[in-house]
Amino acid sequence: MTVITKIKWVDYVVFGLSLFLIFCLVFDSYIELPRLIAWLGRWHPLVLHFPIVLLLLCVFLGLTNKKIPKLLLTLAVIFALVTAISGFFLGKETGVKGELLFWHQWLGGGLALLAAIWYWLDGVSIENKILTKILQVAIIGLVFFTGHYGGMVTHGEDFLALPLEKREEKIPENPLIYKDVVGRILDKKCVSCHNPNKKKGELLMTSLNELLAGGEVGNTIIPGNPQESELIRRIHLPIEDGDHMPPDGKKPLDANEIQILEQWIAKGASDTLRLQHLEASEPLAGLIRNLMQPDPNEKWVRLPKVADSTILRWSSDYLTIRRIAGGVNALSVNLYKSPAYEAKQLTDLKFISENIVQMDISGIPIGQEEMNLVASCPNLEWLEIDQTPISDNELDTLKVLSDLKILKIYSTAISDKSIPVFKKLKGLQKLYLWNTKISSNALNELKNANPTLKIDSGIDEELQNTFVKQDSLSKN
Amino acid sequence: MEKDKNKSENPLKVNRRHFFSQLSVGIGSLALGSLLIPDLFKGTTENPLSQPLGIPHYAPKAKRIIYLFQAGAPSQLETFDYKPILRKRMGEDLPESIRKGQRLTNMTANQDKFPLMPPKVGFKQHGESQTWISDFFPHIAKIADDITVVRSMHTEAINHDPAITFLQTGSQISGRPSMGSWLSYGLGSENKNLPSFVVLTSRGKGNSQGLYSKLWSSGFLDSKHQGVLLRSGKDPVLYLNDPEGLSRSDKRHLLDHVSSLNKLHHVETGDDEIESRIAQYEMAYRMQMSVPDVMDISKEPQSIIDLYGEGCQVPGTYAANALQARRLAENGVRFIQLYHQGWDQHGNLHNEMAGQAKDVDQASAALVLDLKQRGMLDDTLVVWGGEFGRGNYAQGKFDPENYGRDHHPKAFSIWMAGGGIKPGLNYGQTDEFGYNVVENPVHINDFHATLMHTMGLDHEQLIYKYQGRRFRLTDVAGNVIKDLLA
Repeated sequence: MTVITKIKWVDYVVFGLSLFLIFCLVFDSYIELPRLIAWLGRWHPLVLHFPIVLLLLCVFLGLTNKKIPKLLLTLAVIFALVTAISGFFLGKETGVKGELLFWHQWLGGGLALLAAIWYWLDGVSIENKILTKILQVAIIGLVFFTGHYGGMVTHGEDFLALPLEKREEKIPENPLIYKDVVGRILDKKCVSCHNPNKKKGELLMTSLNELLAGGEVGNTIIPGNPQESELIRRIHLPIEDGDHMPPDGKKPLDANEIQILEQWIAKGASDTLRLQHLEASEPLAGLIRNLMQPDPNEKWVRLPKVADSTILRWSSDYLTIRRIAGGVNALSVNLYKSPAYEAKQLTDLKFISENIVQMDISGIPIGQEEMNLVASCPNLEWLEIDQTPISDNELDTLKVLSDLKILKIYSTAISDKSIPVFKKLKGLQKLYLWNTKISSNALNELKNANPTLKIDSGIDEELQNTFVKQDSLSKN
Repeated sequence: MEKDKNKSENPLKVNRRHFFSQLSVGIGSLALGSLLIPDLFKGTTENPLSQPLGIPHYAPKAKRIIYLFQAGAPSQLETFDYKPILRKRMGEDLPESIRKGQRLTNMTANQDKFPLMPPKVGFKQHGESQTWISDFFPHIAKIADDITVVRSMHTEAINHDPAITFLQTGSQISGRPSMGSWLSYGLGSENKNLPSFVVLTSRGKGNSQGLYSKLWSSGFLDSKHQGVLLRSGKDPVLYLNDPEGLSRSDKRHLLDHVSSLNKLHHVETGDDEIESRIAQYEMAYRMQMSVPDVMDISKEPQSIIDLYGEGCQVPGTYAANALQARRLAENGVRFIQLYHQGWDQHGNLHNEMAGQAKDVDQASAALVLDLKQRGMLDDTLVVWGGEFGRGNYAQGKFDPENYGRDHHPKAFSIWMAGGGIKPGLNYGQTDEFGYNVVENPVHINDFHATLMHTMGLDHEQLIYKYQGRRFRLTDVAGNVIKDLLA
């Protein structure tokens, strides 16, 4: 006797939804949604979690040869169809669908329909167990790929890429300003919503031509006129403003990035302009050169690990060892005058020398032994050895410190013989060397050799004299 | 049955069997609990907040702050905020469209008229930054390109005590920790032989207001973060020196014994304040050596004495304190708070301010120059300013030769130098009457947030929980003024 299953209203719902979904997918390009219906699409990110769990649950039961409750399967299928349809609605908002969205849509639609087929097959008792298993495995595969493409649409294509591959490339010497600087800022802050897959406001920002073409509003960039450019106007709106870009919740542009964009537009928004074409004094050149400086934090991340207990153990009442910032392995070392100073206090630090980036040993009676330790800190950026007994001989050991940026060496006995050492320190930015035996000729020579180096040779004599003459607190 | 139940539920009637059976369950569940929650029996001594204490949240620009506090509130209209319209419309009543019902102190609230009063002192622009600075400050004018003037400071209090308390502690009501204490709490000490928060006071001849030690109190924070007042003269820290006849080794013995007794007491009571007291005794012992060394300015060369002015050799003057501040900064003191009293000019403003300015002008500028040549302006932030501004109308009868100004919270000027602040900037603007801020306002909370930012601290992350509430220096407000940062 054949059992005729009574057709329930649920079957009608599944059938209706399936038909509607097929209709949507087939007539995609002819459909235009009323606003309220389009709004239903916004529920897609919420609803989509149900079919994932429910379908996987059904498949799990099926593959382990357990009985799948009819209600569970019904719910799973209905949710799958609703999700696919709402997803279709949401996708309509994007306008032109990119590759990612295309795949997400067809995989998702296929998944929902496959689930519906399973529902119908299960309705009539099927003999072919193998076929059911194949169907179930296919559903797992589809859930995985649909989810993966969906994730890439929302979070960006490299969301799952390994962090190592994401490390930013260094800006090359003499960069193309559009390609190597402006383009990167846009890539970082704008392109996640303005790309072929997600064309918000009809604006694409992946190439200069697209920028010049503009989006819904137009005038995205007016070469030579940053004030009138929509891009700049929106960046400057208050964050509460709905038109502010990037929208609330996304990382805003920082002051430097904004200035670079403005200056680049003011300069004509060209994609052939290179850093060398700019005058050195031009602000844009300065901004870009700043960007090309390696970020210290980036460098510090790669330093060997130091435990808090190590720092604590080697610190003493007169020796302060501290992390530069929380979670960073870069250390600063400060040594203060103690009643019983020994070189050992400092030379003991040899084993953390790679981590020391700042050192203040001014006023300490140091000699060659301590200078050897200093020279063994390859990452040292900031060194204070002023008011110490060191001379040219000891200073010579420092010439290996290529990362040194700030050197304080005033009130010491160094002389013109040390000038070659300073010349060798290519990274040096500031040098304090008044009250030494260095002649003004040698100083000028150094200035010529390294014009960007800031040399502080003490308070200007004229200024000092006015202070003496105008002494407002003289006793008379 | 009923009887049995009563028996078993009465705690006094537990028999031996009951006791052991329940004990086993109790111990079992404790053991299970400790397996599941490893820290279950560790007590709550650990800081529950995510950020580690004593380490900046991010790499700081400034490692220390020298705060040159001008107590009594110097008038912005005679220092850095030049308003020529006051001369043009001299004697006219302050328009209500500008005053907007601003509350006044009872020193001028009952005046019939509020006649606009121009500054008697002249103004000039200085440096490449074209900063307006009054002729009271010829030396500060020389460093115009090293400093950043903020003309848009505003506060909430209209009287000295709440205003200065607000600026120092972030609250008008006393009891909260001072700015220096918060920084000491958040960053720890750089030199373990000196306090991380030091206070130096001086007094000019002008009209003064009281200074109370509550301004440098650590409030509910550990007392080791309290500001230490260094006095002028031969005894900078009271009771620091040993009595006659006590040798250094005797003192060491004494401290060791006291410390072992204190440790016993700490084991008994678990009071953390005992530990911090032990640490303070030890620090005082080391300070007996370090303080006289830091305070001894006799080793300073003549050129430095000339720079700060000869007056810096007179202990207790502002100039002496400014020089001292540099020496303390060099020795790793995190927060050096100077107060110079006498800036409360309700009358005889021109003459009194001339005197006050003379006290501080040269030494303040000298300090900036001195720090600069030592490369310390790279990591030391200098702040100069009072607790509020002063009104643009005359207090009492109208006399351009001898006038006074009442308190004014709506706008005042300060300057900052070094420590990650852009140099040569003129930030913020008041209206043409110098009464209201019209551009880039900086509230006290914003100011605190910015200061903390330069020191590598996120003002929203440095929190102390006390009496069931979380406290911050900026409490529930404050934005870092990013435009000021270099």
